[in-house]
Amino acid sequence: MTRPSSFAEYSRRLLAFIERGAVAAEMEFAALARELFALQFTHVAPYRRLCEARRVTPDSPTDWRLIPAVPTTAFKELELTSLAPVERTTVFHSSGTTEHRPSRHFHSAESLAVYEASLLPWFARHLMPERRCPTCELPASASAQVGHLRSTASHTFLCLAPPPEQAPHSSLAHMFATASHSLGAADSAFLATAGADNSWSLDRAAALAALRSSGQSSQPIVLLGTAFMFVHLLDELERRGLSLALPPGSRVMETGGYKARSRELPKAELHSLLTARLGVPSGFIVCEYGMSELSSQAYDRVAGSASILSPQSSVFSFPPWCRALVISPETGREVAEGETGLLRLFDLANVRSVMAIQTEDLAVRRGDGFELLGRAAQTEARGCSLLAA
Amino acid sequence: MTLPNYFLADLPPEADLTPAMVTDACLTLKRNRAQYLAVRDTPSILRTLVRTAEDWLSDDYPFRQFALKEGPAHTGFSAPTLAIGLDNFFKQLTGENLEALLAQELGTTQRLDAFCASNSDSRTRRLALGTGPELVGHITAGCVPNAAFMAIVLGLLTRSAQFIKCSRGGAFLPRVFLHSLYGSEPKLGACIEIAEWRGGSPALEEVLFAQCDGVTATGSDEAVEAVRRALPPRVRFAGYGHQVSFGYVTREAVSGWRAKKIVAAAAADVVAWDQLGCLSPHVFYVEDNGVGFALQFAEQLAAELARREAAEPRGRISTEDAAQIAARRAIYEVRAAHSPETTRHWCSPDSTAWTVIYEAEARFALSCLNRFIYVKPVFDVGEALRGADPVRDHTSTVGLAAQEHELEALAKQFARWGATRLCPLGQMQNPPLTWRHDGRALLGDLVRWTDWEQ
Repeated sequence: MTRPSSFAEYSRRLLAFIERGAVAAEMEFAALARELFALQFTHVAPYRRLCEARRVTPDSPTDWRLIPAVPTTAFKELELTSLAPVERTTVFHSSGTTEHRPSRHFHSAESLAVYEASLLPWFARHLMPERRCPTCELPASASAQVGHLRSTASHTFLCLAPPPEQAPHSSLAHMFATASHSLGAADSAFLATAGADNSWSLDRAAALAALRSSGQSSQPIVLLGTAFMFVHLLDELERRGLSLALPPGSRVMETGGYKARSRELPKAELHSLLTARLGVPSGFIVCEYGMSELSSQAYDRVAGSASILSPQSSVFSFPPWCRALVISPETGREVAEGETGLLRLFDLANVRSVMAIQTEDLAVRRGDGFELLGRAAQTEARGCSLLAA
Repeated sequence: MTLPNYFLADLPPEADLTPAMVTDACLTLKRNRAQYLAVRDTPSILRTLVRTAEDWLSDDYPFRQFALKEGPAHTGFSAPTLAIGLDNFFKQLTGENLEALLAQELGTTQRLDAFCASNSDSRTRRLALGTGPELVGHITAGCVPNAAFMAIVLGLLTRSAQFIKCSRGGAFLPRVFLHSLYGSEPKLGACIEIAEWRGGSPALEEVLFAQCDGVTATGSDEAVEAVRRALPPRVRFAGYGHQVSFGYVTREAVSGWRAKKIVAAAAADVVAWDQLGCLSPHVFYVEDNGVGFALQFAEQLAAELARREAAEPRGRISTEDAAQIAARRAIYEVRAAHSPETTRHWCSPDSTAWTVIYEAEARFALSCLNRFIYVKPVFDVGEALRGADPVRDHTSTVGLAAQEHELEALAKQFARWGATRLCPLGQMQNPPLTWRHDGRALLGDLVRWTDWEQ
């Protein structure tokens, strides 16, 4: 196996792979995965110790599926990064106000650039499908695409999140900022503020004003937020007895998770309320799955595409440079189609941390994608002697 | 064998219970009690219970065979686990033990039948007679049947009609037990009802509580508290909330000639009812002053659990439960790779059947159960008790392995600290019939006394 000389060289190959998008082949994924594994094995000491304990090294002639995955919780305890402290320009923390010890995902300017290059084309494909480069299925490249997109009229992005300056450790705020700066119109806005305790609160007045003014235009908007922020917005609309009609073609990106920051609504109910209060039909409500430990995101639909599945059983897909496996917790092997297990991800864009991530999310294997069921740790135990820890 | 439709729990799962059905059942139970049960005396109830228990201990008893054949699908326990768990319960149900229970709780064995005096009563020239509730409602939780079995036994002793409400999927074993009673004494069986519904169904519970004059509840603290709040003030109540248990092994015990037996006893406590009972250990604290006794204990315990898995396999568990085990194992695997001197782990290959985690950190850890056990080295009992402080108010049983001369001092320390039951390691999930559940009286919460001054 030829070893790359550096992360920089690997990143160049990865960006080329991302540029080719959907035409990228399995062989190429496997080769990049092995290259990155070798780099991370060498340069991420706590990861190497885990691999050695499992007796897997870059010299083991393994399928990429057998590359040892690190549990997301390990990001709380260990510095899973190849970046020296001086190289770390950004750190993303897992969200949640109650967590004493968040996950930490360190980035440098270079790794953030890869993160953004991974983020943009897949985001654009699902939230702004009409803007795809007509000659290929995916945007030619993130940078080229941005230039291309700038030439057409841009959508206004309304982000129900604090601006990244206020939430420097939020990968979600960074993602929203990256997307709206690259793909959104100049009047795109962040409509929440971050408190000292890392809690987010919706700027209700600004949000209503922005939504009302969008409603008066004919230009569709892109509304981005977490489920709990949408609940706060919907509660505010209900309190005021308001229903708005966003311009046709407007779309919503909702990313899961409440973390006890609002009352919880079943997804179907949340979506039907979004339709009722904002006039966005369900086909334009796109769910995103992502986490601070990753650099790629999955989506459950292309905005505006006809839905054949109910919202409760939406199927998420990652981009070709991030693969999802559903693993049987009992045997540790991949489950069969339609079966349930734990989601394991191999994200080639996680250059300076660890590519192979074992989540605690339960999912059903559906073709190349997965249906999300939720966090395993939240399920109720069968025994009678479990205390609330 | 198929079970006939005697009880509400025999209805097909799609049948919806209505409040009217619960009320009707309660009224029937009270009528039947007045006719058949209230007139029975203690010796005849004891004979029935003892005969039923003897039946259950016989390999060719049809109800036992049915429970072992159908039980794994209904309860999630393997047949060997069920067999051992059932045997341990029914072996306790002897005439001698039942009389001891009555004497312990009521002073003498005849006090539910006639006015009589205990030793202290005779000194104060009094007689007393105990009367059980007319109808007791039992709200039971989980899938380990002992609490429901015991509730039924106690209710029969007090000659109360009984309505047993099980959580969804938890009714199977108590239901088969009641069918066996019904089979031998239909009139007695007609004084007990069993039904299954999801906890917190106010419409059903309200009508049930309106008919009861005594209620017992086991389950989470929140569930027990919710039952207490829903009861009319006149109803007598005994609630049993969350409990956890752990083991303590001394240096002398684990380094002595009995070491191998102690490991086997510890494994038995983990294996029993797949560790799902309140009396099952979450943690074994092992005395260790840096020489590696605890690590050695953990390693031997893993080997023993692997052996036990072959004979008494862990039952099938849900993907969610397996995912919890897998997720926990993953984090300990990372820690073990990072700092093997403080964390080690042993896992069943290709399954989640058993897991041993050695962790040099005395803080109590709640296991995710289903045979997932922590072994923690401690310098002495003081360190263990400080580590277990977060569960101090919730600790039921401490299983002890120590040399004879160490036991008394240890027992006193655990008792003063707050444990309500101490037993030899290996017996944690197998309390005697007379065990004072959560440190409280068994019948005292339900029986009403009439004092007669001479």
